[in-house]
Amino acid sequence: MTYERLNSLLITMVVTVAFIWLAIPFTMAVLWSLVDPAEPWTADKLLPPVMSFYRWVDMWENSSLRYALISSYTLAPSAALLGLCLALPTAFALGRFDFPGREFAKLLCLLPLVVPPFITAIFFSALLFQLGLNTWRFGAIVFAHSILFLPYAIRILTVSFETVRQDHIDAARDLGASAWARFRVAYLPALKPGISATLLIVFIQSIEEFAIAFIIGSPDIVTIPTLLYSALGQDFVRPNAAVLSLILVVPNVFLMLILERLMRSANPTLSSGKG
Amino acid sequence: MAAIGIRGLSKSFDGFQALSEFSLEVNQGEFLTLLGPSGCGKTTLLKIISGFLEPSTGTITIGGEDVTHVPPERRDTALCFQSYALFPHLTVLQNLEFGLKQKRVSRDQREVRISEVAAKLELETQLEKLPNQLSGGQQQRVSLGRALVMRPSVILFDEPLSNLDAKLRDQVRVEISRIQRDYSLTAIYVTHDQSEALAMSDRIVVLNGGKIVQVDTPEDLYSKPRTPFVADFIGGANLISGRVSSQTEKGPIIIETSMGPIKTSHLVKDNVDNVELSWRPERAKIGEGPHCGTIVHRAFQGQFTDLILEQNDIIFRIRTNNDKLRVGEVINFSLSPDDVVVLEVDK
Repeated sequence: MTYERLNSLLITMVVTVAFIWLAIPFTMAVLWSLVDPAEPWTADKLLPPVMSFYRWVDMWENSSLRYALISSYTLAPSAALLGLCLALPTAFALGRFDFPGREFAKLLCLLPLVVPPFITAIFFSALLFQLGLNTWRFGAIVFAHSILFLPYAIRILTVSFETVRQDHIDAARDLGASAWARFRVAYLPALKPGISATLLIVFIQSIEEFAIAFIIGSPDIVTIPTLLYSALGQDFVRPNAAVLSLILVVPNVFLMLILERLMRSANPTLSSGKG
Repeated sequence: MAAIGIRGLSKSFDGFQALSEFSLEVNQGEFLTLLGPSGCGKTTLLKIISGFLEPSTGTITIGGEDVTHVPPERRDTALCFQSYALFPHLTVLQNLEFGLKQKRVSRDQREVRISEVAAKLELETQLEKLPNQLSGGQQQRVSLGRALVMRPSVILFDEPLSNLDAKLRDQVRVEISRIQRDYSLTAIYVTHDQSEALAMSDRIVVLNGGKIVQVDTPEDLYSKPRTPFVADFIGGANLISGRVSSQTEKGPIIIETSMGPIKTSHLVKDNVDNVELSWRPERAKIGEGPHCGTIVHRAFQGQFTDLILEQNDIIFRIRTNNDKLRVGEVINFSLSPDDVVVLEVDK
């Protein structure tokens, strides 16, 4: 088989897979969100018979969507920032110090990710109740989210800290730089992509997180995923769920694109050095 | 007064003795090279002088002031890194400026110093570029410039040429020597390359196993190595052991070796029978002479030819301008008694 043939075959496969997994569900969500309650979309029809923005307007005016948007988009950046702050010291230790068992410690940090989220959520909420941290529910969710997504944050930042070059730190020191100046000139440029990536990942994860937000937050705090659950789980209004899914997904797609750009953007600290 | 005084310095890492009982004085304006194989302690010593490591015992003074426990950011030393260690996100100008800003040097002073150094190092047209837009040689010059603008009392070089290709290496080597002389800088230069050390230094400190083996000018180090290690490490001398057979007040001493009797005009200590001799491959005069050997290997190098010879199971090296000699030939050669050095036996 020639190289061109193989290439075109692979491209066809990628397009097919992307179509099945992305385009179809996405189109279905858009279509369902536009179904007008005047005429239901039955299985025998290819497209909804009547399309309008009724569901969008209705959700916006008559549900807790606005409140959910505000709480989700306050929770997520707070959790991202807190997660970053909590992860930095551990990542610094894992990335900059040589100690026995370092590789094992790195692995240990990733371990929470294999536990199903609902299980973590139940036991974590129990822990919060025991610590008496459940009274301020918003804070409890922020705390829980930042802890829950700490493995990602630690992993990304550890790699960032490993890319900081010791000779840059030493050179800054040799030139008389204080600890803060050393951080700015030697650490920060190498850490920047990792910090952005951490913030975005925790942000996206927190926006989409359901279990903790539901167990700790309900009924006081409604986030988009918990609202989505009530639209699907309790009332099972598919068009409403479609509206919510789109609200949940579309910003995340853009954030993911930004993340991709950030990860790809040339990090000058890595490309410099020996000529 | 010595620019740098090192007294009784020792450093050990987890039981490994990197430096032991090390004492050395560096004079003002001197170019001193620390030379030795990897693991000899030369980089450790440089790190102690620059302040990145604290010695286990001993003291360091710079300009008469005890700096043993002064951190690097407050030491009046500037280090040129093997990797250049330029800040990749800063322009050449910002790199040069960085240290001056840390020391709160006024803007006017900064401009004066940087333009002077940039002119000296021919970096004026590169100031707005980022380090990765420069060639290796230019990056090394920026690194040197960044150290020079600080006007340190001591400038330290950590194998600064090892990442450059051979041609550039010669060029930057000349440049470093010129700058050091022009500013009459006190410089400590770490290298494992003996030709670099011989070409640049006022004095060379040969280190092995964390100890000083010999401190001398390049010329003396080459012509009068004191130990077999120095003789071999610098210029790859031929070593041979022998017995003193006759020692008279006048005239050369005759040493009986497996190459036959060798004459030396250098003194042998009294009551010493067994000695180690060293002679340089390029000092042998091919033609007539008491010594002979069979050529077992020949390497033509352009301006000279290296010959490996064998006689009585002794292998030795001769360097000659004669490119007509071939493997298998037996040649005769002589050695001047002045060129045969008697070595101290390594303890």
